[in-house]
Amino acid sequence: MSGSGSHVDNGIWMRAVMMGGMILTLGIVLFGILGVALAEGKHDTWKQLEDDYYHEKGVLAAQDNISAEEAAHLDHLHHEEIDAHLSYLTYRVAGVTILLMTITYAAFIGLGGFLNASKPQADHGDGHDDHEHHGSSSPIVFAFGLMVFLIGFPDFVVACKAMLNSEVTPDFSMLAVSMVGLFTIVIAVSNWWFEDLPFVGHGEQIATSYPFEGEHIRKAGLWVFIMSEIMVFATFFSSYLRMRTEWCTDWAIRDGVEACKDVPEGTVVTASDLLRYDVSTLMPGAINTFALIISSYTIVLALKIAKDTNWKPSTGIMGKINPTRQAAVRNYLIATLALGSLFIVLKLVEWSHLVAEGFDIGTVQGSIFYIATGAHGLHVFIGLLVMLYLVFKADTVGFDEDNAQGIEYFGLYWHFVDLAWVVIFPAFYLY
Amino acid sequence: MGEHIEFLGKDIYFWNFIVLMFFTLFEVGAVFYEVVPGTNIEITKTAVWAILIVVGIIKGFGIAAFFMHLKDDPRIYTRTALFPVLFVLLMLWGIGLSNPAGVTDLPSWCTPNWDYATSR
Repeated sequence: MSGSGSHVDNGIWMRAVMMGGMILTLGIVLFGILGVALAEGKHDTWKQLEDDYYHEKGVLAAQDNISAEEAAHLDHLHHEEIDAHLSYLTYRVAGVTILLMTITYAAFIGLGGFLNASKPQADHGDGHDDHEHHGSSSPIVFAFGLMVFLIGFPDFVVACKAMLNSEVTPDFSMLAVSMVGLFTIVIAVSNWWFEDLPFVGHGEQIATSYPFEGEHIRKAGLWVFIMSEIMVFATFFSSYLRMRTEWCTDWAIRDGVEACKDVPEGTVVTASDLLRYDVSTLMPGAINTFALIISSYTIVLALKIAKDTNWKPSTGIMGKINPTRQAAVRNYLIATLALGSLFIVLKLVEWSHLVAEGFDIGTVQGSIFYIATGAHGLHVFIGLLVMLYLVFKADTVGFDEDNAQGIEYFGLYWHFVDLAWVVIFPAFYLY
Repeated sequence: MGEHIEFLGKDIYFWNFIVLMFFTLFEVGAVFYEVVPGTNIEITKTAVWAILIVVGIIKGFGIAAFFMHLKDDPRIYTRTALFPVLFVLLMLWGIGLSNPAGVTDLPSWCTPNWDYATSR
């Protein structure tokens, strides 16, 4: 982080701990409502319908002849049972996802806040004067922590499975490696926040050499990062396109593709085959698309208001919700956070439905779908963790015309995530 | 910044947002309906392809040009963003060549001289 800083009392970081507590409370309440109360009701309905279906199936199996009406009735019961199962999954997965997300949010912002609140007041974590321009070691420490975390990541996954399945035995030594990495990441990020919070926008470091001469170094760095991200998503997209143009999907067969003329329908099933023909299955992906576009707009509004020195509260209900410029910026960032969280929840609900229908990661079609959409979801989730800090800064120090770069540069990343979805959604969900 | 350009009392970000929402609805509708609503005109696979690509380009332009400010920022940022496109195009070319249909179905101008592959 570059730039000069204003004095910020370390005690302010305790508000981050409180913020973590509030988020966790909200998560537990939503989990109780969606993941327990409503899901249990749906579970009972599903079990009842499942019993009805198997009972009817048993009765018909004992008969010599089954009429068309009886077969249709059995089929109807089967569809009702499947719908009830998916409905149960929707609530259960939504509840559990919200709980896990809020635990992560609370741990991230709460632990970071606690570490920063514990620091001696005079130390800004970098050994530099407030008014001296300087770089930061935090990104390097962060990258090192990430490397250590990834070394132990496979065993981290096994340990997560072991929590759900007693037959799986985790390797605790490698799990410890990933946990050390995770803790290093938290320390690096919290220190990064600690350095950034007092930043009021004066003394942004400027690039002095070609090709970004005269531009903010942070902005140039972010664009180079986005450039590398475009390459990452391009590899997912091109590998998908390479395979997709060769697959004999039902669509290709019906369209009379020469190479598929001898292939029976149903041989190759893509995610879009399961998603695009029905409103209920297409809905999560479609809502997610709108959620990301709206969230791109809300973060633009947060930036616009932060830069607007003549901002005045509007009359009516919006004036009551956003009585001050600081509150307006914070609330639009919270709206962005909520919409991004909705994206993750719906994404996992949709995945659970696909897995329930037999479309898992074990096939080539499933592998590329889950890897590409999962990588995108991971980018959204990482963005949400950063946004937690932006909400905290907006609520404490505040953003104005001088230090709004924080929102602007993060907004570039967030818009890129939206842009990646503009490619992924039609390719994986609609085509 | 785009907030200084106004149309009907709203800034460019608002109108960009409306355009993005509209085109998203349009692309979902184009795939969901098998015929154009109210007509017997079939929406073919090729038409869906064309719609998805055109709408994707429009939406991508809207996000990059206005939300990411590339339209008003120095050109170096646009060039930075477009640099990977060279590699993307190379990858797409590779896709065409490595696809079985690349031997026979792609136009000759984008393939090496692979006539022997069909004549043997």
